[in-house]
Amino acid sequence: MYNDKNKQKIVDIIKNAARKHSLWVLAYGTGCGAIEVPATMTSRYDAERLGVRGAATPRQADVLLITGYLTVKTLKRVIRVYEQMQDPKYVIGFGSCTINGGMYFDSYNTINQLDLYLPVDVYISGCMPRPEAVLEGFGKLQELIGKGIANGAQQYKENLDFYRENQKKVIKNWDFQDYNW
Amino acid sequence: MESLLMNILGAVTTFLLAFAVGMTYGGLRRKIVARVQNRYGPPFYQNFIDAFKLYSKSTAIHHGAMHFLGPAFIMVSSVVSLMFIPVLTNNQWFPNLNFQGDLIFLIYIMVFGPLGMALGAGQTGNPNSAIGVTRGLSQMVGFEIPWVMALIALMVQYKTTSITGLLDIQVQSGHWFMFENPFAFSAAILASLGMFRYSPFDIVGAPTELASGPMSENGGKFLFVMMSSGSVFAFVKLTLIVDLFMGGASNLIILVIKTFLLYMIPVTYGIVSPRYRTEQSITYFWGWPLFFGLIAIIYAVFF
Amino acid sequence: MDIINIILVIFFAGALITAFAAKISSIVQDILFIGTILATSIIFFLNINTNTETIINLSHINLTLGLTPLSLYFAFIVFGLAVLAGFYAVGQMQGKKKKGYFYFNYLLSIAAMFGILVSKDLVSFFIFWEIMTWSSYLLVIYNGENVQKTGIKYFVLSAIGAYSMLMAIVIIHSLTGSFLISDLISGFNNMSANMQILIPVLLLTGFGVKAALMPLHIWAPDAYSNAPMSYTAIFSGALSKMGIYGMVIVFLTLITKLPQETLIRDIIAWLGAITAAISTLWAIKQDDAKRLLAYSSIGQLGYIVVGVAIGTPLAMLAGLFLAFMHGVFKSTLFMVVGAIEKQTGTSNLKEVTGLIRKMPWTFIAALISIIALAGIPPLGGFVGKWMLYESLITSNHYLLVTLVFFSSTAAFLYCYKFLFGFFLGQEEKEWSHVKEAPAIMVVPMLILSLISVVLGSFPQLILKPINSALSYYSLPDTYNNLWKESMIFNKWGDQVALTPIVYGVAIVFIVFAVFLFFKNRKTSRYVTTKDISTSGEVPKEHENLTFKENFFQPFLRAVEPAMKRQMDKYMLAFAKGLEDLFDFTRRIYNGNGQTYAIYAIIFVIILLLLSNNLFS
Repeated sequence: MYNDKNKQKIVDIIKNAARKHSLWVLAYGTGCGAIEVPATMTSRYDAERLGVRGAATPRQADVLLITGYLTVKTLKRVIRVYEQMQDPKYVIGFGSCTINGGMYFDSYNTINQLDLYLPVDVYISGCMPRPEAVLEGFGKLQELIGKGIANGAQQYKENLDFYRENQKKVIKNWDFQDYNW
Repeated sequence: MESLLMNILGAVTTFLLAFAVGMTYGGLRRKIVARVQNRYGPPFYQNFIDAFKLYSKSTAIHHGAMHFLGPAFIMVSSVVSLMFIPVLTNNQWFPNLNFQGDLIFLIYIMVFGPLGMALGAGQTGNPNSAIGVTRGLSQMVGFEIPWVMALIALMVQYKTTSITGLLDIQVQSGHWFMFENPFAFSAAILASLGMFRYSPFDIVGAPTELASGPMSENGGKFLFVMMSSGSVFAFVKLTLIVDLFMGGASNLIILVIKTFLLYMIPVTYGIVSPRYRTEQSITYFWGWPLFFGLIAIIYAVFF
Repeated sequence: MDIINIILVIFFAGALITAFAAKISSIVQDILFIGTILATSIIFFLNINTNTETIINLSHINLTLGLTPLSLYFAFIVFGLAVLAGFYAVGQMQGKKKKGYFYFNYLLSIAAMFGILVSKDLVSFFIFWEIMTWSSYLLVIYNGENVQKTGIKYFVLSAIGAYSMLMAIVIIHSLTGSFLISDLISGFNNMSANMQILIPVLLLTGFGVKAALMPLHIWAPDAYSNAPMSYTAIFSGALSKMGIYGMVIVFLTLITKLPQETLIRDIIAWLGAITAAISTLWAIKQDDAKRLLAYSSIGQLGYIVVGVAIGTPLAMLAGLFLAFMHGVFKSTLFMVVGAIEKQTGTSNLKEVTGLIRKMPWTFIAALISIIALAGIPPLGGFVGKWMLYESLITSNHYLLVTLVFFSSTAAFLYCYKFLFGFFLGQEEKEWSHVKEAPAIMVVPMLILSLISVVLGSFPQLILKPINSALSYYSLPDTYNNLWKESMIFNKWGDQVALTPIVYGVAIVFIVFAVFLFFKNRKTSRYVTTKDISTSGEVPKEHENLTFKENFFQPFLRAVEPAMKRQMDKYMLAFAKGLEDLFDFTRRIYNGNGQTYAIYAIIFVIILLLLSNNLFS
């Protein structure tokens, strides 16, 4: 699953270098974490200097930023958005809620572990993670992309059955089309 | 055969030049906007990285034939209008098709792009795209009027409708039309604010309002083509205004200086302005810009 | 017998036989209909000759029939459209009622148009003009809806036009003693100054009605949208050109001799431009495709009138070229609407969506015609538009050109509305059953759109006959001067070379189409229009995401002041005033014998009082 760096072709290295410095983020403001995204993007922390920039629709985006807890209802939308994004695509789990449920760990309608439903490339821990931490997370993602090992999308394709099973377990009214790209 | 080859080579060179200049200007704009907002901002070559990334993204889905052909239509508009604009005054380097068309033709080929974009956006079926397109077309009706009036003023004043003709008059007399008919220049500049679609006229692709409008279903290569077309088109517009009002440019450095100064007008106007509502951004052009256009024609006829 | 007589006889006989052939079989009727049109047009195209002249003697009046180069040019439009729309009509009328009625009037109006074009004297001109009006009137009320409203409007305005034309003819006859058009032209110089103004104005009123010139246009939107679409293709494409044909003659022969020439030209040109601008705005507002195209027709005819009225050689070229182009693309668009109406049952832009994958050939025809209509290079519409603008600029009509430009740019809006409404946008389940129209309807549309494409790169095909028509009326030769092969020039010597443009556009388009389409076609898959970025929502089958309501609302809000005044309302107010006047006269003639007796007495008293002054 993990590419060895030696096996990368020259083209891939160039492509990865470009991808790394041009991350268009679809900030999915699911939870309280959304409040940290404007701070990250605007004057004080200025994520744009790293090539991180907001995207308007999933078709244009590279990174799906899940900001906070995910209720079952939102999870369905998030999966839909993720599947509409074009390869290569990455997911950043933002805040404790995406890691282990955080303060909502015992809620009846939130999921505790995003990993089971979507392939997360980078987690940013904290409740809330400060903009510095968010930038750190982007830096980590860039590092992974540069090495060519940020291949969550591929993982998703390969283990689609596993993810689908988990997704269908929580989403009762399942009406998706098949995922085949 | 050899001349044909040279022509093709010249056309490709012009295209690459326009692409590079347009992209760089776009990047510089982002940098300037960032500095005004007290940010550090992306590097000036950020747009190249973005373009290359978009190119390298996969294009896994489409919504039918027009979805493919729409971006191609936009590119036709940009590239063909580029071919008809004299880049440099001495016409040694990039003659392309300069002598084959005139201003009226150019006005029409320049609106080909929005219509093509409209078709491509239409087939995606996204309601936001259609709303963006209707806004864009409406706005076009707005700014075309003062723009055309400014051009008519020039054509009337100098009894020619050819771009190279107008350029030659400026080069020979040494007087820029910018000073010969300042009203036409003002009308053209105000109209160009709408053409560039930066704020306050960014009603078409308003990201927070329409989810980037006509582009909302286009990712990957589609967006790459649209982005390059936009860059080329920015170069086309700037060079056209330089040719018509600022005496053209005898070499590339002067061209870059002049176009960049011109480019700063919509950029700086945009940074400090919030977005207009749609009908405001239409009627804006029927106020002072139209007045300047009228004065320009009167000036051209009677003085 | 002469060719012209043969053609007319075939038309009238064919019309009658076709009308009654329904008794035998429906297919025989179709064959007879097509046969009549084909026979006449084949005879016409094989025996084109401008020298023949036939004289039919009707008691004391000689009807002189013959072709001039100008009428030959218009006859091309009429016969070309008649054949193509005829085939289309057979497809469209399949399984409809009153087929005989339709075919009869269709043939009759084609015959009448041909008759108008070959008339060399005013009597036959007027007779054929009336046949044309009547047959088109009968087709306007074909579907039996709104007969009162639309029929009366068309009828009253046609009557106004016909009466003013009749009055002009009577005056001409009393002054020159002849009905021949050539005698009118040669004798025009000797008339008194008042008559020199009156005759052209009366004639222009008559022609202005058919050319839908403001303020005589109010019949057009209803009439165009109510007739069957296969006839509206002729109605808007060819029949309205008869008004233009008359105007061209009036402007070329009569108005040039007037001292007030520029004034009249400017007035008509401004009327044309205002017609174009206002009707374009109204077209943007329409939600029914038929009405949209009807208003657009009025607007396009406005451009043609501008060109004809300005009357410099380049403007005449532009007007006549646009007349041909309008015939081509507008009839295609009406055919498209007809095809869609046949397949879906409605022509409402708000209801029908996403037909592009179901009716691809119709879409191609519509797309090409729309691009030609918008005047975008490299299609034929651009050539006409270019010549129009250049002629206006070089003849010092700066505000006029701005107004024309405004309406031409605003035309993109309804162009897009038309394409988007029918073909693009969300594909709804409601229309999933729709199939492509039958070949007999699609092929004429495609042929017509092919003509638009060809004329974009080879305008000389049409400019040559126009040139000879203009030379016939002693305008300077324009070849080498304003056009040469596929190059067009203006007075100042600036040029547009169409061939390199076409090549350039084609090369760039193909390069990028290949880059996008053929490279990605294999790797990407088609997704439905429900699979769009809707903030993660999954739209259900029945959920309608189409954006149709208030399509250009912001724009219409911006131009609202210009649309407040409607000619319709003024006309109605005028009619109301007339009604009040008649009401007043009814009080005088109240049918009471006693009152009449009093009138008689009053009259006698007045006579007595005035007798000293009157009969002294």
